[in-house]
Amino acid sequence: MLTGSKTTFKVRQMLPDIKERMLSQSGVNARSRDVFGLRCLPGECVLQRAVMVRKKLTAREGRGWVSGTLFCTHFRVAFVPQDSPKADDNADPVLLGDHDVALASIEKVVVVGPNRTKLVTPNSSLKFTPEELVLYCRDLRVVCFLFDRLTPDAQVIEITYTIAKTYQPPKPGSVLSFQNAALGSVEMKQFLSNRRRNTDMNWFESASDWEQELERCGATGWRVSLVNDRFEMSTSLPRSIVVPQKVLDTELKKSFAHFNEGRIPRWCWRHPRGSDLMRMSSFQNNIYHEKDDIRNLEMILFGCQSSLCVVVELGEELPSPADIQLAHSRLRALCLGDLSTSVSVPDDKWLSTLESTHWLDYIRSCLRKASEVACLLRGGHLTVALQEADDRDMACVVSSLVQVMCDPHCRTQQGFQSLVQKEWVIAGHRFYSRMNYHRDNDKEEAPVFLLFLDCVWQLLSQYPSRFQLTDDFLLALHDSIHLPLFSSFLANCQRERCKRSQNIGQSYTPVNGWRDVLHPDSSSDLSDPPLPSVWDWSLQYSKHRRDRFTQPVPPTHPLQPLLNGNLNTNPDTHRLTDTIPGSVFLLSRGTFSCPANLLPWRSGSSGVYKKSHRRAPSSENVPGLERLLKAWALAEFPQGLTSISGPQGPLDPFEPLLPLLVGPCMGLWRECYLRGALHAQAFSHPISANHPHPVERLAREVQQLKDKLAQVSTSPGLKPPSMMAEPRRTDTNLNQNTNNGTFLFPASRPQSVAMSRAAPPPTSTNHQTSKGATSAPPSRPSHKDSNKHTFLFGHSSVAEARPDQRCYPAPNNAKLPKSNGSSISS
Amino acid sequence: MASPVSVYNSNALDTHISSTSRESLKMELLADVSLLPGEERIIDKETMYICPFNGAVKGKVLITNYRLYFKSSDADVMLDVPLGAISRVEKMGGASSRGENSYGLDITCKDMRNLRFALKQEGHSRRDIFELLFKFAFPLSHGLPLFAYVTQEKYAENGWAIYKPVEEFRRQGLPNNKWRITFINKNYELCDTYPTVLAVPFKSKEEDLRRVAAFRSRGRIPVLSWIHRENQAVICRCSQPLVGMSGKRNKDDERYLDMIREANDTTKLTIYDARPSVNAVANKATGGGYEGDEYQNAELVFLDIQNIHVMRESLKKLKDIVYPNVEESHWLSSLESTHWLEHVKLVLSGAIQVADKVSSGNSVVIHCSDGWDRTAQLSSLAMLMLDSHYRTLRGFQVLIEKEWISFGHKFASRIGHGDKNHADQDRSPIFVQFIDCVWQMTKQFPTAFEFNERLLLTILDHLYSCCFGTFLYNCESMRDQQEVRLKTVSLWSLVNSKMDMYLNPFYTPESGRVLYPVASMRHLELWVTYYIRWNPRIRQQQSPVEQRYKELLALRDEYLKKLEALELSGSSPSSRLANTPNNPASSTPPQQYTQLQTPL
Repeated sequence: MLTGSKTTFKVRQMLPDIKERMLSQSGVNARSRDVFGLRCLPGECVLQRAVMVRKKLTAREGRGWVSGTLFCTHFRVAFVPQDSPKADDNADPVLLGDHDVALASIEKVVVVGPNRTKLVTPNSSLKFTPEELVLYCRDLRVVCFLFDRLTPDAQVIEITYTIAKTYQPPKPGSVLSFQNAALGSVEMKQFLSNRRRNTDMNWFESASDWEQELERCGATGWRVSLVNDRFEMSTSLPRSIVVPQKVLDTELKKSFAHFNEGRIPRWCWRHPRGSDLMRMSSFQNNIYHEKDDIRNLEMILFGCQSSLCVVVELGEELPSPADIQLAHSRLRALCLGDLSTSVSVPDDKWLSTLESTHWLDYIRSCLRKASEVACLLRGGHLTVALQEADDRDMACVVSSLVQVMCDPHCRTQQGFQSLVQKEWVIAGHRFYSRMNYHRDNDKEEAPVFLLFLDCVWQLLSQYPSRFQLTDDFLLALHDSIHLPLFSSFLANCQRERCKRSQNIGQSYTPVNGWRDVLHPDSSSDLSDPPLPSVWDWSLQYSKHRRDRFTQPVPPTHPLQPLLNGNLNTNPDTHRLTDTIPGSVFLLSRGTFSCPANLLPWRSGSSGVYKKSHRRAPSSENVPGLERLLKAWALAEFPQGLTSISGPQGPLDPFEPLLPLLVGPCMGLWRECYLRGALHAQAFSHPISANHPHPVERLAREVQQLKDKLAQVSTSPGLKPPSMMAEPRRTDTNLNQNTNNGTFLFPASRPQSVAMSRAAPPPTSTNHQTSKGATSAPPSRPSHKDSNKHTFLFGHSSVAEARPDQRCYPAPNNAKLPKSNGSSISS
Repeated sequence: MASPVSVYNSNALDTHISSTSRESLKMELLADVSLLPGEERIIDKETMYICPFNGAVKGKVLITNYRLYFKSSDADVMLDVPLGAISRVEKMGGASSRGENSYGLDITCKDMRNLRFALKQEGHSRRDIFELLFKFAFPLSHGLPLFAYVTQEKYAENGWAIYKPVEEFRRQGLPNNKWRITFINKNYELCDTYPTVLAVPFKSKEEDLRRVAAFRSRGRIPVLSWIHRENQAVICRCSQPLVGMSGKRNKDDERYLDMIREANDTTKLTIYDARPSVNAVANKATGGGYEGDEYQNAELVFLDIQNIHVMRESLKKLKDIVYPNVEESHWLSSLESTHWLEHVKLVLSGAIQVADKVSSGNSVVIHCSDGWDRTAQLSSLAMLMLDSHYRTLRGFQVLIEKEWISFGHKFASRIGHGDKNHADQDRSPIFVQFIDCVWQMTKQFPTAFEFNERLLLTILDHLYSCCFGTFLYNCESMRDQQEVRLKTVSLWSLVNSKMDMYLNPFYTPESGRVLYPVASMRHLELWVTYYIRWNPRIRQQQSPVEQRYKELLALRDEYLKKLEALELSGSSPSSRLANTPNNPASSTPPQQYTQLQTPL
């Protein structure tokens, strides 16, 4: 797998302009500064350039044209506007500038000449001098360059050829050479390996990450098991899985065989009303169920809720990966038109053609399923287990959508990133196969994740004020997926990812502390570049772009910390108390049933079950469950109404955002899919770039006020600085704490909790009441701020209880400082 | 002031089902109805409203000389429909009909909904209510005055003063040395459907105008609607020339059009015929037609916009798919099959062509057949694109007064105010379509318009309500005859008395910029908040951006208050305040707060 040679081969084939190559070589030494204004990555070579080129700006960029110099390197097509500020030589490298296109994301190259257009392939020859160069990208961007009369013809033709030959025609191996072009230099490798990872989000890679999530959700009764630490139980499951506390690892081990790919039921999330969301693959049917197995399986499946479990079958009503792939390719074709001939669907057939892609239908079915699950969870105190044949596609979509709908934290940038990490990256969505980066596995290709992003966009467009992240963020994520550079997406599961990134080297486990992961093989260290995570946004986007990922002033709705998963201060009237313990229902097509073969071990043939259990579940509480669903389907639309009706009233922040799914309410993500449609450049905005939108202006003003307020109110008091000096050493405390929480030493956990409970300062009761008062949040700028103090000062409670700390957080918060921190900072 | 009006407004626009469960006594269900001055109770009755969304609802219906009002016994469901919005009242079922709620009234409304009431079968219980409703819903058919003549509502503003033709011409820089103002139509003798004040080429003489009038359908000669301040290109409007089967020519008409061209020295005058060319040809059979080759220095462009009948049927189809139930799965193809958006697109793209021509310095003449439907759409939309004045709240009122009302869009015939003849072939939602086009533009240029969606909704509500004189009658001569300005109130009186309600917070004045909306199905949207507003499941959010703006405003006020309080309290901030703000230095993650973003 030595790819260096491949790259050089390619470059040599290109016959690059020697002078420029040398220039860029010397640039490497001078901290990669190209004399023509392009700041190269370390080791990046400029193969060709053309001056006096104009780039067409999209509506988002302010429309019109900007002129500058066009470059083709062996990693990207770069464009440097004429009067762009001089690049800072000492800044960290950014892979792509605002106007750049990575070669790997180019799908087709089309040139427009006098009265003709031509698709350019590596082998094609040009019989005319192009006037326009159009790059169609995989991420649905269409980038258009216009050659001036002043552009030397030779340069025009050369750069067209160069791009046509260098952009990565989809074939195996091209990805690796691309990665090397981007990240392969010694400097880049070094830079990447020194890169600190984002600590504001949860990566779900280690047991402590999961512990932290359990704490954040206030999920008691669960523990992190490392039974799959070496991927021996299931190759596609992560190392750490969350299972009921009462199930021992030895018991757990026996249950893997009963599930497809060994993907046993695992905990995902707890609703503040105390319901748990789980996911699992389908049951292995041809297996004999030992008496003990059955007991274990039931324990695992019911999790912490003894009474009621609803299995939600994801196969039937949701699109298959093949469906999604077909729909998406139709959508692409529809939105981009035929690339070479520029023939597009006639305008009067647009709507029905859009409908016939079924893309919107599939989005609707995912959102509907997630809404059903969200409504069930809202009912409280039951387990909802998502079941999919392999638990690696639609389960990811539905489980993460449910959390976006129900958990405000997941609507922040950091929270969303953590969610994707939890339910997709670590959970083993097969990004690598589904994205088909190598173009070697067309059968498996299916943009399941893009479908999910569109679902989130639908929610965002229906409830914009309930999100802290923005559609710019979703768009950035959408585009990054198409770039085969990120460890997050270049593997199918944690195991594969670990194999790749052995040079990361260490991981922390509660049992052994820091230790090496899977015997790193240092010999392979330098061949492949270390791949960055997609969440390392500063590597990809300028600060200007990144700043648009979040709303300037976050939503006014408070992001309360979860109260130990028991938001039952107002108990649900429909609470399903009458449930017979051990009832299992299947939710399918909007109705509940309890088919005899739902749980294979309970089906008649084995016979063991009936003896060991009290009685078969009656369907008596089916109506109760259906009522939960009806809440969404029918009567409670005003709920959605009030929950979006803005600032006047405090609402339950965990009330799910239930989307409207009727035809007129589902939109097309035009900013994503239609941004390439050159014939109809979207929303022309009479406001130019130097003329901010009034909302933006107001937001800026509010921000300034906020800052000023912060300054004024903190400067006279001497307390904050002293507290801020508090080191974050308690992180390690937290780790120890969570270690103890695992199965090995169950006893020590309550102890530590008790300790932190014992510590609260005298004023804490006061604070409690003030906290109660904040259920009417408008009286304070935002509840978040008080959380922030938790984040900043919370730990001091354990260390020293200072009576003068008026802003002491509630004990509940003190227990989960880190998670609060992430919810805030996101 | 004007509290009853505000109640009326909020009801008509916002409330289909009032979720506020006001505890009113069952007997006194209708006690809290606030009537307008001059409004009188006619009849009330126990009835059952067959709500398409909630099923049958028991309650009481009240009919006044202005409205139909229904309130359910549990006060959950409420209806408040101006009688003017009713297009048809029918009896449903007979005395012998079986089945629950099969006997009653079926009411078709002009504003995209139907209402059904079930009554008791015993004793002809519906006879009186039917007759009274029929009488007061269609007053003109029963020799009664329209409600606009009955109401005694008073407003601080006088909306009739909003449009003064001479002033508007002066704003455009007229008269000048190329264009003059003529009062030839002072007594509606030249053209009875035109206004009294007209702008015509400076060179044209009064007898020229009369001769041209003879050759234009209904005497609607080409007159100036708008002039470009810099390049002096103009938009003129007229009706079709009376060419007829024999292909008549009229030298005066030809010369007159050439005068329009000469006024700004362009080489070619562009004549936009809004119709499809087939229709234009067909019109020759009835004496009409289009400008042929004999018009030198002119080019003719057909804009392919269909006639009033096609538009009426298209909106009818749209109603079928949005009321009461909206399909989920085949929504887009159903929407496509109504062709409504396609018609909107054609109107818009026609207007874009006009605006583009004018802004590039060429004068244009627009006509269709009679020059009061499609012509009004095209000229007013083009003017809206070209002239930012018309994008202000008052400017938009002027635009409607000028291009629609004064130039004789036949509101009375197209809407059928107070007329029982619901199947009248003259009815057509041309003005609704225009407002839809305006809405499409506000969607695409969210900061370019001073008014908001609410204004558009209010205009459409009162297009039917007959509460104001603004949209009554077909032309100015009729209005003068009926003394509309003296005896009724203008809709703009209501609007301008409460301007705040109709202002777009994002409005950013920017003059001199031409707006070209994207007239593509890919970017047009169905105006859900108008066409589907009766569906409680869809009636959702106000504009999310607007909502966000309000949130920010609230935040700003709050911070300002806090800052003030802090500055007052000086050096000893309360612990509570110290608790709330961010610590600027350490707690703000770099990427979060420092920069700003448009959530558009």
